[in-house]
Amino acid sequence: MFRKILIANRGEIAVRVLRACKELGIRTVAVYSEVDRKALHTRYADEAVCIGPAPARESYLVIDKIIDAAKKSGAEAIHPGYGFLAENPLFADRCEKEKIKLIGPSAYAMRTMGSKTLARKTVQSAGVPVVPGTVEPITTEAEVIRVAKEIGLPVMLKATAGGGGKGMRLVREESELSSSLRMAKSEAKSAFSDDSVYIEKYIENPRHVEIQLLGDRHGNYVHLCERECSIQRRHQKVVEESPSVIITPEVRAAMGKVAIDAARAVKYEGAGTCEFLVDSKRNFFFLEMNTRLQVEHPVTEMVTGVDIVKEQIRVAAGEKLSIRQEDVKQSGHAIECRVYAEDPERNFMPCPGVVTSLRIPGGPGVRDDSGMYEGFEIPIYYDPIISKLVVWGKDRTEAIARMKRALAEYVVTGVKTTIPFHIRVMNNRHFIEGNFDTNFIDKVFFKEEEARQLRNEEVALVTAAIQVFTEERKRAVAQQPGEAAGAVSMWKYSTRPGIRKIG
Amino acid sequence: MSYVATIGEREVAISVEDLGGSNYKVLIDGVEHVVDAHQVASQLWSVLYRGASFVVDVTRLPTEEYEVLIQGDCHKFALMNEQRRAMIRAGGKGSAGKAMLTSPMPGKVVKLLVKEGQEVEAGQGVIVVEAMKMENELKSALAGKVKEIFVDEGEVVESGAKLLLVE
Repeated sequence: MFRKILIANRGEIAVRVLRACKELGIRTVAVYSEVDRKALHTRYADEAVCIGPAPARESYLVIDKIIDAAKKSGAEAIHPGYGFLAENPLFADRCEKEKIKLIGPSAYAMRTMGSKTLARKTVQSAGVPVVPGTVEPITTEAEVIRVAKEIGLPVMLKATAGGGGKGMRLVREESELSSSLRMAKSEAKSAFSDDSVYIEKYIENPRHVEIQLLGDRHGNYVHLCERECSIQRRHQKVVEESPSVIITPEVRAAMGKVAIDAARAVKYEGAGTCEFLVDSKRNFFFLEMNTRLQVEHPVTEMVTGVDIVKEQIRVAAGEKLSIRQEDVKQSGHAIECRVYAEDPERNFMPCPGVVTSLRIPGGPGVRDDSGMYEGFEIPIYYDPIISKLVVWGKDRTEAIARMKRALAEYVVTGVKTTIPFHIRVMNNRHFIEGNFDTNFIDKVFFKEEEARQLRNEEVALVTAAIQVFTEERKRAVAQQPGEAAGAVSMWKYSTRPGIRKIG
Repeated sequence: MSYVATIGEREVAISVEDLGGSNYKVLIDGVEHVVDAHQVASQLWSVLYRGASFVVDVTRLPTEEYEVLIQGDCHKFALMNEQRRAMIRAGGKGSAGKAMLTSPMPGKVVKLLVKEGQEVEAGQGVIVVEAMKMENELKSALAGKVKEIFVDEGEVVESGAKLLLVE
């Protein structure tokens, strides 16, 4: 087993990995950018190395700096978390060259699965069902029109190097094909500096269901069942759960088997995830394989009892998986809500700033994976995820009730968060019935929300009036005009829609 | 002290009187209640109202407008005391016809979508600012002419920085 691991990440995921290392008795090294000196991961680690200025391009994404920090601190292995360098084969190559173990799959597996077209080819020949479409990138208009005719509209144009919804275009009409191709290419170019695009049949009303995998270098594989990730806003997952209400034991076993086949095709080592689209008849199609630990891994941990990060570390050290397939039991139901520093009242605009007060929910079945604390300033430079609230219940009904309860306990002031949005989702009839697809939030939920009557208006008015009253009195006593408590500066609201000025 | 809340087209009269401790006598549209409101943090209240307990997050916007969060519901309204309202009513409107667009967050100006002197519609995207890996297109509040642009593409701006003026 390793004696010392460097965590090449920040925020909640760095804290998550640190926790696993500490429980395994492994010494930890954090890396931090200049703005992250006060971040939780910098404080929690046994050692910490500054790797440069705030922009990720000058710190968390610089391979030389990470390698240098690992060598100087004597770390034998690097855990990359998710994002940043986690799926960068050049980083994997470099680690191999420097004889530092990267906790994750080989550069070969990353390269194969990282290219969507190559991944399709590889898994297809392993017998994994894929969405009909091209395997080669498409470059010309004539080609896009020919393929679209062949597989039938609607189709999806996707960036070969893509992810997170960037460089994706849905096309329903033949007349839109060439302009959409142009836009997809230009988006792909600016987001990934690679403008190759491929085409896929668009599955109507799909659900996004993924299989968590673990593999070791001795050829052992297990799957840890599915996660339902159809609650997405603009193609980004916001709520995940396990099990999925639509997956039967037969479908689960079939998906698990093909996911393992896909992993075996690239001699996959460590934790990975196969994403599938599932149509209304429970046909499933391979979408892509994520060659890293995922944001939503805790829901699987809650229902299976397997610590995925510890398994990653063990197999990276050359050990065998500690579990066999027959040991894996999905028990109860888990839900995760991703808490972002974004303002749901202003079209989810990022909302960096200082967390002025914080109360983290607790009690039975509640887990909060967070990278913030009271007084922490959420920087502008990185992903807006600040916490993942995860609950476990004996069934889905209890899990939803528990999530509602935990969200109600969760207090974050100073920055706006997506907690109120999650409360609304948990109360939504379609969500409760399990009746949704990947378009639900954007197409159905927000429309239903617009028509909704707010509750407890009197309490809101009275409390605001009392706050004004106490401020006026304080000002009168102190005889010094100043900004009132709870006030925020003008800029935050300058582009706000929907509120009229009076007077 | 008496206040008027404005919610859309509706007005609600509220008066507040201190009863000592954390108790207040509140008159809302003529109905009297005793409210126990304890300030937990600068903008966070624990409120006991008509037998029920609430956690209430009160954000005051700079324009005497409020956003009050209770259990996932965000209530938006304007609130001011009666004297101040009378004053504002007498004074009439302020600098109508001009809109200074400021950056709603610290970030980087990725793209200017308009030029000085260009006519813009209300709601038209005029500038793109990137923060936290997201690009945000900011829109003009008014229809009019772009009078002045204060930033260049690629420039890093603080929150509240002047971006452009529409007249």
